[in-house]
Amino acid sequence: MKNRYGFVIDVSRCIDCRACLVACSVENNVPMIHTRIWVKDSGVKGQFPGLQRTFVPYNCMHCDHPPCVEVCVSGATYKDPNTGLVLVDPEACIGCGFCVEACPYDARYLDEARGVVDKCNACLQRVEVGQQPACVATCVGGSRLFGDLNDPASEVSMALKNARSIQRLDYEANGHDTNPNIYYINGDVLESGFLPRDPRYNIAEEGWKKVLVPAIFAGIGASFLVQATYFTKQLVEGEKEFDE
Amino acid sequence: MSDSHTIPLPQRKRLREKLYKKHNLANILTHWFNVGMWLMLLPTGIAIISSPRLGLSPLWWQELFRNLFGSTANLIRFHYTLGLLWTFVLSFNILVGFRRYFVPFATTRMLLDKDDIEWLKIKPLQMLGFYRGRKLPPQDAYNAGQKLYMYVVILGTVSIMLSGIVMTFKTIFPPLLKQIAQPVHWVSVGAIVAGLIIHVYMGAIFPEEKEAFFSMFTGKVSAWYARAHHEKWYRLKIKEELAWEERVEKEMAKEVQHADL
Repeated sequence: MKNRYGFVIDVSRCIDCRACLVACSVENNVPMIHTRIWVKDSGVKGQFPGLQRTFVPYNCMHCDHPPCVEVCVSGATYKDPNTGLVLVDPEACIGCGFCVEACPYDARYLDEARGVVDKCNACLQRVEVGQQPACVATCVGGSRLFGDLNDPASEVSMALKNARSIQRLDYEANGHDTNPNIYYINGDVLESGFLPRDPRYNIAEEGWKKVLVPAIFAGIGASFLVQATYFTKQLVEGEKEFDE
Repeated sequence: MSDSHTIPLPQRKRLREKLYKKHNLANILTHWFNVGMWLMLLPTGIAIISSPRLGLSPLWWQELFRNLFGSTANLIRFHYTLGLLWTFVLSFNILVGFRRYFVPFATTRMLLDKDDIEWLKIKPLQMLGFYRGRKLPPQDAYNAGQKLYMYVVILGTVSIMLSGIVMTFKTIFPPLLKQIAQPVHWVSVGAIVAGLIIHVYMGAIFPEEKEAFFSMFTGKVSAWYARAHHEKWYRLKIKEELAWEERVEKEMAKEVQHADL
């Protein structure tokens, strides 16, 4: 992987203004009823006067091992080898939504009008020309940072070096280890409201994998065996024309 | 074929030279159009299915086709454009030739009778090495195995077409339907391919069926082959021929009477 783009989010600096949501939606033509990114809220916690509230900016984690890519039948969702970003090719996507259910972070939505799945692409169209993603560029508190995690001199790498604490919402269970590329610094995000869920596989996908694939392969195998037996016989015994 | 040695040489020669029409031009053209389309649709279709969780096609195959077409989207576009053309042409042929070709074909060549059931009971066991000495009942223009496979092909083709349309027109159909369409598309192709392996072997490689292969170009098989492999159909052809001879003779007699008057 040449670059490994990712986000570093300083939880202590987010004030839930949601300017990032607006900037993202405008930049990426996101339909009004959806957003590509969110700010999650822990709610008020603790006893007065020691009250606490955490806002957690949230979007696609651009995982190293994304469960969404695992289920995409056509390869419309893929891990871009040059940037490390998880992207959707809308021309190849048919909007079936297998990936929406598989994503442990609920970072995807179905755009039924366009018949595709949509999600954060880290504003690749801006990044390619040397700009920051819209959400990062607009973040007044400087909570959202973006850059190449492979480059030790990048803003994100420096922020990680200087951080008081670093956490990730890694999903590590049932044979998965997503290895997300959003690093949360200077705050506690490991709370139930923010943690990833189990990937879901619906009956069409699960039945395909567990029932149909073995059944069809058994059929094709049996059929191949029959013709292989006859063909071997034909080779061994020599060819008999029908009229001889 | 067991009694073939009892037929004297001149008769045997006559049977080999005499040809019966087994396939009409419409069937021959549709068959080879179908072959061409399958040759293009099957490899591209396999290359599209890239889900690592299903693991249905090797990575090198996917990359070969994605590079050949330039991108995933181009590969998919090629596949569904060709698929729509295939759907259109086959549906058009069936609809246009429904009364002239499809109905007679379905009623005279596809229905299973008692002999077919008997054949289905014996043949699979014979293939496994049992009932060696038992003679198979006489078969129609198509044997019972071919008839059964025809149902798989027809049902499979319809479900490939319908599920393909659902996936192609992605803004019209709801996500649930698009989810179901994918395994349905795959499983229908798989069922047809399972039989296709035997179909291609029997049609193109198996020495006893060589005439069947050439008949898919010329439309004709020899009386000798028909007698050996499709006895019931052969008898039907003879009956038709006798009826024709009788008719011609009657007409001739009528004409002679006319001339005498």
